[in-house]
Amino acid sequence: MVNILKAPEGVRIALMGNEAIARGLVEAGVSVVSGYPGTPSSEVIMTLHEFGVGSEIYVEWAVNERVAFEVAYGASIGGARAAVTMKAPGASVALDPVVSSAYGGVEGGLMILVADDPGPHTTQTEQDDRWLGFLAKLPVLSPSSPQEAKDLTVASLDLSEEVKLPVILRTTTRVNHTVGDVVLGPVRSVKRASAVQRDLPRFVRAGMVWNYERHKWLNNQLNRVEEAFERVSAIRNRVEGSGRVCVVTEGSAYNYVTEVLREVDSEIKVIKLVLLYPPPKKFLRETLSGCEKVLVIEELDPYLEFVTRNILSEVDVNTVIYGKSSGHIPMEGELNTKIVRSALHSTILTERAAREVPRAAELGQLIKVAPRPPPMCPGCPHRNMYVALLLGIARAGYRRSEVPVFGDIGCYALGVQPPLEAIWTEHSMGASISMAMGLKVAGYDKPVVAVIGDSTFFHAGIQPLIEAIHKQVDVLVVIADNSIVAMTGHQSTPAWSALESGRRAKSIDIESLVKTVGVDHVEVVDPYDLDAMVKAFERLLKKPGVRVLISKHPCALVEARAGGLRVRHRVVEDRCTGCLACIRATGCPAIYFDGSKARVDIEDCLGCGLCARFCPYKAIEVVSYG
Amino acid sequence: MGRVLNIAIASVGGQGGLTLSRVLAIAAVLDGYSVRTGETLGMSQRFGSVVSYVRIGDRVFSPTFSDGEADYILGLEIIETVRALRLLKSGGVVIVSDVVKPPISASLSREVYSRSKLLEAIGGSVSTVVVPAQKLAAEVGNPRAANMVVLGVFHRLQSVLSSSSIKKAISEVVPSKWLESSLAAFELGVNYLKT
Repeated sequence: MVNILKAPEGVRIALMGNEAIARGLVEAGVSVVSGYPGTPSSEVIMTLHEFGVGSEIYVEWAVNERVAFEVAYGASIGGARAAVTMKAPGASVALDPVVSSAYGGVEGGLMILVADDPGPHTTQTEQDDRWLGFLAKLPVLSPSSPQEAKDLTVASLDLSEEVKLPVILRTTTRVNHTVGDVVLGPVRSVKRASAVQRDLPRFVRAGMVWNYERHKWLNNQLNRVEEAFERVSAIRNRVEGSGRVCVVTEGSAYNYVTEVLREVDSEIKVIKLVLLYPPPKKFLRETLSGCEKVLVIEELDPYLEFVTRNILSEVDVNTVIYGKSSGHIPMEGELNTKIVRSALHSTILTERAAREVPRAAELGQLIKVAPRPPPMCPGCPHRNMYVALLLGIARAGYRRSEVPVFGDIGCYALGVQPPLEAIWTEHSMGASISMAMGLKVAGYDKPVVAVIGDSTFFHAGIQPLIEAIHKQVDVLVVIADNSIVAMTGHQSTPAWSALESGRRAKSIDIESLVKTVGVDHVEVVDPYDLDAMVKAFERLLKKPGVRVLISKHPCALVEARAGGLRVRHRVVEDRCTGCLACIRATGCPAIYFDGSKARVDIEDCLGCGLCARFCPYKAIEVVSYG
Repeated sequence: MGRVLNIAIASVGGQGGLTLSRVLAIAAVLDGYSVRTGETLGMSQRFGSVVSYVRIGDRVFSPTFSDGEADYILGLEIIETVRALRLLKSGGVVIVSDVVKPPISASLSREVYSRSKLLEAIGGSVSTVVVPAQKLAAEVGNPRAANMVVLGVFHRLQSVLSSSSIKKAISEVVPSKWLESSLAAFELGVNYLKT
């Protein structure tokens, strides 16, 4: 297998965008990479771990994005090259130190990868982080392909050192998770910390006069960015084609524009931006002058449209601008060739489609099929926890509708799907505990429950727990501890003592931690012991104070991989009546209804046996598995 | 190749749809083509609907394509293949593994999908190859290699990618423990239409 981090310059290979970014970090000589897992950004650090970067480079997951950024920033002010990776909501978590870093600036290059998710495919909002440029006053670069993602990773670090500011590489899912052909570049030597300056006005934000002066410095640096970017980057802002009819685009949208324009003969000038902030005014003034009509094609907010409109107000106020404001490009979701084709044809293209657009197959009377939203896996310990919680609420004398369950971010949020429909909210990292507390202090008189995963607890749950304990609010906090960051691809948590990189670490024990901050009652129960779990819920729901139930069992996929499966289950046909109690109680995706009876797909069963407990006819039995 | 070949891979999370798309991408680059794949991953570990887009040509830009633009649909499960049919273009071909995995939502509402009715619906409308991929893969001791059987059938019908590049790509992606059986599964797929 090709080691993509060590393969020589000039080799052309298929890389996913995130793998290309990982390669770019090695090419640029970074010595510190930190981040927090989040789709679609996670594979950058996972790739660095998978292929091994040697002892010269520190590559580790941090407890959350702001800590990750601060680690990278500390490295950078000492002259090291550093990078940090996160998904869009993670950028919000890191925002405080990111904004301040623009005032202190950097010494070694510092890249902040922010992976947005138009669609959305896997993110709670369609937050558009191109605006971070305006907000944080930091340069923003945007790639369209895995090749550009790699090359702009290198350029980000070079530009960062050139203008002494952190640089944001803003990507979208269709760049991060696209595999494409990439030509590798040369690998530079690792740039480690040399010396840190004791420069108080620069690095101490406690002096208001200093801050005012640094703000002036920052604005001055921003004025230098366009020229510096054009000088250091192999991938530049560019124009393709010519004429008075223009398209302004960037990122993934550029790909759809290029494909659609290949279908037509009209002369169109495509202005493709790579530097998104500060807006490259010189380039835009030059390239927009002479445009009579402009269609701005971009995903999510009308960011480029705002930038283009500003420039055109200086260049030519008579230019007609189409885009989101005119209703030709949608404000939500991701684009595709179909949307872009129709926008082009309804605005600036006068010819009819020159080439025939592919026709869809005649599909006759097709059966409409049921949706398949992502479920919790077979054997998932979170499923047992939720089943026990719902039973425990009843045992404690409450109706389900009286006990709100505040969810959090991770696989256990999939418990929202039928049949369990166990959680009532899923908001932001750590919010389960604080929102449950909020409802309680507002006078809600029945029990409230917060469910939070182990990694999410480390990330943003500890402070909410301290808040609840300090204010003595009655909440039951369930820490669903599967000892891993499962949803994003099985990354390490602070409880691990041996990390992906090979580094030895000090394991942080959740039980001792919650005891130390003064929780009133703590219990640790294995949710595979369903009876014990139901009893624990019943007991804790009746108690006052802050109660923590640590539901502790490893992720079933990891357990199956590590230990091998000893048992699986099957349905004994003549005993099964087809009542489907097994499916209604568990929602396990390994069980299905064949028209008369339940069946277990033996390939998918992970042997937890939860279904067998709920079969009134004892029709589900264990089979040993070799 | 003057135009771009569009392939949609429809599967249930965990069946190896992503592996299949990566094998195609690597083989395409080995054969000197430009390639893009569009994946969505990371919402759950397994068992959700997954569509991967693979595009191969001289110069490819977009990682996805729209409804009615797929030359091929490679289906690793029949219900997901039906769901993805909207992507197929007129004259496109479906290659589908003969496996039905009813989603939980269907079982909960006692909705039943008959394999033969689903296959009738697909085959009655468009050119379709139904292949007992899981059964064939089990014959070589690796039932998880159904994706490689489907790849073999695809290669037999559409020879844009060379057999040697596909095999090299499989060896890049599949762990060594499963390599031999995966290559054997691929060969079974290649030979499936001969018999």
